[in-house]
Amino acid sequence: MIKKLLVANRGEIAIRIMRSAQELGIHTVAIYEEADRFALHVMAADEAVCIGPGPRRDYLNIDKIIHVAREVKADAIHPGYGFLSENPEFPKKCRDAGLIFVGPPSEIIWQMGSKVIAREIMQKVGIPLIPGTQNLPPGEEGESMALDFARNYGFPIMIKAVSGGGGRGIRVVNTEDALISGLKLARSEARVSFGNEDIYLEKGIEKPRHVEVQILADNFGNVIHLGSRNCSIQRRHQKLVEIAPSFLPPEVDKEICEAAVRAARYAGYVSAGTVEFLVDHDNNYYFLEVNTRIQVEHTVTEMVTGIDIVREQLRIASGEPLSIQQEDVYVRGCAIELRINAEDPKQGFMPCPGVIEAYQSPGGHGVRLDGAAYQGYEIPQFYDSLIVKLTVYGFTWEEAVDRLRRALDGFNIVGVRTTIPYYKAIITERDFRDRRFDTTYIDLHPDLLNYKEKDDEMDKLARLISEINAYGYNPHI
Amino acid sequence: MLRNMTNGEVIDFVRNFEGYLLTNNERDVSQSDFKGRIMPWTTLRAATARDMVGYFAFEVSGGASVHVDLMKKQINPFEKLKLVRKAMPNTLLQAGVRSHNLFGYRPYPPNVIRKVISEFAKYVDIFRVYDFLNYIPNMKIIGEEVIGAGRIFMPCLCFGIGSEHSNEFYLSKVEEIKSLFGTKLILCIKNHSALGSPERIASLVSAIRKEFPEIPLAYHGHNTDGNDLARIVAAIKAGVKIVEVCDHGFGAWHSQAPALSLVQLLEEYDYQPRGLNIDAMIESSEIIRYERRYYAPFESPFRGIDPLVHAHKLTGGAVSMAYEQVEELGLLSRIHEIFKELSMVILELGDIWPVTPGSQILWSTAVSNILYGRYQQPSDDLKRLLLGHYGPFPFYDPPDWIYERVLKEDAKGGKRLDKSSVKDEDIARRRVDLEGEMGRDVSEEELALYLLFPRDLVSYLKFEERYGKTWLLPPDIWFHKGRFENGRRITFSDDKGKLHWIDIISTQVMEDTVKTSCLVDHHFKTYTVKLKDNKSI
Repeated sequence: MIKKLLVANRGEIAIRIMRSAQELGIHTVAIYEEADRFALHVMAADEAVCIGPGPRRDYLNIDKIIHVAREVKADAIHPGYGFLSENPEFPKKCRDAGLIFVGPPSEIIWQMGSKVIAREIMQKVGIPLIPGTQNLPPGEEGESMALDFARNYGFPIMIKAVSGGGGRGIRVVNTEDALISGLKLARSEARVSFGNEDIYLEKGIEKPRHVEVQILADNFGNVIHLGSRNCSIQRRHQKLVEIAPSFLPPEVDKEICEAAVRAARYAGYVSAGTVEFLVDHDNNYYFLEVNTRIQVEHTVTEMVTGIDIVREQLRIASGEPLSIQQEDVYVRGCAIELRINAEDPKQGFMPCPGVIEAYQSPGGHGVRLDGAAYQGYEIPQFYDSLIVKLTVYGFTWEEAVDRLRRALDGFNIVGVRTTIPYYKAIITERDFRDRRFDTTYIDLHPDLLNYKEKDDEMDKLARLISEINAYGYNPHI
Repeated sequence: MLRNMTNGEVIDFVRNFEGYLLTNNERDVSQSDFKGRIMPWTTLRAATARDMVGYFAFEVSGGASVHVDLMKKQINPFEKLKLVRKAMPNTLLQAGVRSHNLFGYRPYPPNVIRKVISEFAKYVDIFRVYDFLNYIPNMKIIGEEVIGAGRIFMPCLCFGIGSEHSNEFYLSKVEEIKSLFGTKLILCIKNHSALGSPERIASLVSAIRKEFPEIPLAYHGHNTDGNDLARIVAAIKAGVKIVEVCDHGFGAWHSQAPALSLVQLLEEYDYQPRGLNIDAMIESSEIIRYERRYYAPFESPFRGIDPLVHAHKLTGGAVSMAYEQVEELGLLSRIHEIFKELSMVILELGDIWPVTPGSQILWSTAVSNILYGRYQQPSDDLKRLLLGHYGPFPFYDPPDWIYERVLKEDAKGGKRLDKSSVKDEDIARRRVDLEGEMGRDVSEEELALYLLFPRDLVSYLKFEERYGKTWLLPPDIWFHKGRFENGRRITFSDDKGKLHWIDIISTQVMEDTVKTSCLVDHHFKTYTVKLKDNKSI
């Protein structure tokens, strides 16, 4: 078993990883940039090392991180999600440094990270693919291929960055003119965002559902799935609400999960990962991509299966076989996860960093919180604006939604704007409650932004008292 | 028991009751002695004990209170009635109504009168209605609505002294009331200015009783001159059944006589307190006596008994507000001059009764006469009075020179207005207006209040949207002066009985903003107030 683990990440995922590690008796090491010196993940770890002023660049500095790991005598590194988690250089350099990388090997990351290679693999194991192209060559040749593709398969068409992922590097076009101009723009965006300007095309599926399957695989060829998730509610391809199970018809769900296992096994996958699909109106599914890391929304799977995915990752990385077999996996009930960010939905979800003057969170049956905020914490402006992930569990969908409402009402976060009122609008909306949503849900419900932040009655009275206090008399009499 | 009776049964009960019944008029005490500022918190604190006293009725609404509730106390008058009804389930609720002026200062359109009365009739059991000109037709629509709603109609005779204010005059008014409304009512003698001797009151009561034995009588007096106890005893001995009183820890200079003092005095005349719980009377009064300290700033600067009211005749209910006006004008040192002028003005303007809105017209005319010369700057309401908008003068018209000076080119003979010229309001249109202002549907009660006081109702509703039910706050918070000290805990119950607290943690003062941090029911909150014009203590 790993004895000392360096977590090469920050925020809630760093804390989440440390929890499982500490449960296994593993000593944990946090790294942090200077802006994160008061971060909760630093306090949660057994040891902490400042890796530089940042911002962001030190969390992305493989050599520095490995150097620190060796200095503190860690024997393993967990990359979390984002940052270096899907950089194939990272596991390679860890291996070269004699460190265990808690995740798939470099080659797998590289293969699955290439959208084109991933599609080839899926094709080989008979998983349906969204009609698409190879990497488009630049210039007129690429434009000609693109136009041929459009004429064969029609619009809409998605222009995707080969090195993209997590919803980034995607552009949707509906006309030939937009396609041609989009190709140039997509290349330059991909170059800036991912350091790789390669792009390809996929046929856009109308109003698809985004369904993904959680995979666990060990070094002994054991591969299992932990059921599916529905992550259709997205804003600009960023997931807002994630749900387990996906509520596909049982036979489709079974098929899609087995397809994911088949793909992972064929690829020689190790550790935790997610195979993502788009499902159309007729429940036909198409491969989308593979995420070779723990995902933000893994918590919903943990809630409905009772399985600690990070714990399994640590055990797999320690050279142990999976502790469970497929027949041990039961999906029971329903879980919903929301990302509560310090953002203002009414201002285009603009990040609102600042000091959290008060932080009170809900609790009770079926409420899980994965957060890194506390009262007095100043959310740095350099990183994501996640305050806390709220995951609720219910025996039924209705119970989970009711619990979500109660939990959202139970937050008291003062000092920064949050996405809580927007979520409250979503969960009371009819289509959501009836589970009628796909990836167009947010676009089709612009009225969700018309929420009114309801003042609690006591808040109103306290406001008057604060005015009396400010003026030194009641200005209303 | 009374609340389960029909209005006819209650009237029969009163008629046949042997002894006397008491009505506690907190509304008038608040208005007369505390500028109308007694908060619902105080009313509700004493409510349970008051409900056990055995009062026949509790006047808690009407008069100026509807307007003051919206403007100064920030409570919906209907909500107040609901709260009091719930806290005093055994006591009839009463409201004072200024005939076709309702709760305002000018005649309202007929359909507005009907609408407002029908809404108040959901909560009010007794409507005590008076007209400052004793012009009975002005009460017609109200009487119809009250009786139609199954509530008790209590028309008043505004009482005065002087040669015109004879028994014959008042008997003719009772005859008018009987012709218009029948005898299924309770008649009230309204002695708003504490006038007349006990003998005078007894004479009037006896005369009415003789001619109209089937109509039970009530007496509404004021203790401004210190003599109302004597008048009440005389009234009861002459046959009045219901008299209006106040809590002894509460009333003071210009409101009603104290209930317990009356009970003790009546025992000397062998009138035992039937159905009255004296312990509860004492308890409720002591609660109010304790609460009274919050309202000290609103007590009239002109304290003490005022026997000179016999000369100036200003109604008790208008005194504290009249003083407030004079104080604001910096004329307090000339108050006696104003009173003297008032006596003249009353006689010049037809010897009408100085009760709202007449009291406002007469008083503001007296003040204006002192400031600018006699009738040189008449108010619009004075003009309306002369033009007959309120009704005809009861005894004689003012002299021509006053018409000429006040109305100028519109003088007498030109523009007398028939009462029917107050046209019906377009209530549907007004509803649309209110909904447009508020951005939402409105209730019938909100509409009724809007018809009464459009601007003030909208201000109140917007205030309530922003600040919530502020009447829940104790008076020492509502009237607080200075900053709250750190650690101060403010506790109160909500309307569902749940206890809440707001703890002041700290106050941070910056240039033109003040940030208050507090715990609101254990939730940490901060509120930043930008001071307007940098005003603060």
